[in-house]
Amino acid sequence: MRYVKLPQENFEEFFNSLKKWGKVYAPVKKGNIYSFQHVEKPSEIAFDYTRTMLPPKKFFVRPKDEMLRLKGGRWEESNGVEPIVLFGVHSCDIHGLEILDKVYLAEPVDPYYKKRRENSIIIGMSCMPDEYCFCKSLGTDFAMHGFDLFLHELPDGWLVRVGSVKGHEIAWENEELFEELTEEDMKNFREFEEKRANSFKKHLNKEGLEDMLDLAYNSPVWKKYEKICLGCGNCNMVCPTCRCYEVCDLWMNAYEAVRVRRYDSCFMESHGLVAGGHNFRPTRLDRFRHRYYCKSYFDPSAGFNCIGCGRCDEFCPAKIEHVKVLDEVREGLQ
Amino acid sequence: MTFQTYEARILEVKELTSREKLFTLRFVDPELNRSFKYKPGQFVIVDIRGFGEFPISLCSTPTREGYFQLCVRRVGRMTKYMHKLKEGDVVGIRGPYGNGFPMEKMEGSTLVLVAGGLGMAPLRSVLWYALDTGKYEEIYLFYGTKAYEDILFRDEIIHLLKHGEDMNCHVKLAYEVETPSCIYLEKGYSPRVCKGVVTDLFRGETFDVENTYALICGPPVMYKYVIKELLDRKLSPGRIYMTLERRMRCGVGKCGHCIVGTSTSIKYVCKDGPVFTYWDALSTRGLI
Repeated sequence: MRYVKLPQENFEEFFNSLKKWGKVYAPVKKGNIYSFQHVEKPSEIAFDYTRTMLPPKKFFVRPKDEMLRLKGGRWEESNGVEPIVLFGVHSCDIHGLEILDKVYLAEPVDPYYKKRRENSIIIGMSCMPDEYCFCKSLGTDFAMHGFDLFLHELPDGWLVRVGSVKGHEIAWENEELFEELTEEDMKNFREFEEKRANSFKKHLNKEGLEDMLDLAYNSPVWKKYEKICLGCGNCNMVCPTCRCYEVCDLWMNAYEAVRVRRYDSCFMESHGLVAGGHNFRPTRLDRFRHRYYCKSYFDPSAGFNCIGCGRCDEFCPAKIEHVKVLDEVREGLQ
Repeated sequence: MTFQTYEARILEVKELTSREKLFTLRFVDPELNRSFKYKPGQFVIVDIRGFGEFPISLCSTPTREGYFQLCVRRVGRMTKYMHKLKEGDVVGIRGPYGNGFPMEKMEGSTLVLVAGGLGMAPLRSVLWYALDTGKYEEIYLFYGTKAYEDILFRDEIIHLLKHGEDMNCHVKLAYEVETPSCIYLEKGYSPRVCKGVVTDLFRGETFDVENTYALICGPPVMYKYVIKELLDRKLSPGRIYMTLERRMRCGVGKCGHCIVGTSTSIKYVCKDGPVFTYWDALSTRGLI
């Protein structure tokens, strides 16, 4: 890793230089929530944001996405990928994108996702946890890869970690804006990280979680939450690692149709429905439990399917807390 | 291209029952037609352009080249469109997907095929493959159907009832609804044809557990009972193969609809399956 310093007075120039790499998207405050939006100047950016409602996955797996277009009886690829710069991505979301990479870039590669990933620049930004964050328990509170540049807040600027060749090129082109790190900067960086590590209020007990959950298949806790859960699927929509999608064809006119895919949710009754009306997850209990199993699945190559971003808690209308459910299930077994 | 489908022309449409039609297809591109290889138990995704896609298992055998067949039950919106298609019409096909039955591994063994209703379709691929290659010791087919009118591939099944023994192929049929045709069939082939459910066909049967594989396909409710019969006869869970159904949208392990299992083991039915052993079902909850 290469470390450099970006003094605060150079930030605006650095930010403007990003525009030549693609359209810049950064967290912006809209009402009470944050959202990744196109920004023109640094003053629009919410540097102290907690989490956006929709994670950065919305740029790569879109809520509604045209795949193919039917013209003259033949499918044509829907084309057009614009280069983007995602500015201010938190480390948990970078881990989230890596989990998506594992699925979408595995053979056979998803061509849409791949094209968009290749045309994006990820610039990470350090953050302070709020009451919902539990990324530290899952080891996703610090990103070692998956970004081009990572900006860590310093009192007088930013400590920049260069994480890829592309990131190196960006730093290279703006060489005059960067400085070497001083001892003082390193001290400030360490202090920030220490303060951050001590600010977590939520902790997920990960020890043997996957086995514990497997044993708790008939736990009464699932039944309790089945009644509380509204089955709205909000948690799926805002989850950085949820990736179920549905496909449908839509006619544009008598001669043209498009094949569209859109987010799907395992809380919907239709999710496990097959031809003939048989449903493999017919009750809300089945669907509620399924989500927890899917999120807590431990893949030896990638770890858990959850990054501890806290979105599902913050945006749950029934105020169900992910960590609390898992803790209760664990307690129920003892 | 992962999601591009390739044009295939319908060569023949045959009405099998009032609900099921057999479609014989061939790729429009002759090169693709030559290179299209599949295994019994694999499936394709049919694309009716502008209306949508649906997954369906191949019911023909790869030993007969130049065409492939799909047995489609009219059960929903997409299959209703499919049933309207005629000879000469074109659909899109992508695949084959899934793991298929381990035909090579089972060579030299006895195969016990247990089919329930529409489950006959993927097992027909195995049946023909086994008969065509002649590499299997004996083939048993236990087929449970609702009524005589619902017997899929009726001509082939009756042909095998008549002449199967010459090819080491033993067919047994169970039907639920008594109609004159069934009674007539039963008179001719008793006790191989009887009234009852598919598990009734196991009565009096024993297997050489060292040299037998069971292959099951049928409605979800069937698996539990059939597996019990097989386990009672001491067949190892690793020798019981089942092919499963889930809502497979993408076919390549991305869309998430066919995920089964729990926190310790998650499987995509479309790419890790649709053929699983009973051992997989014991170690992956929710599989059957």
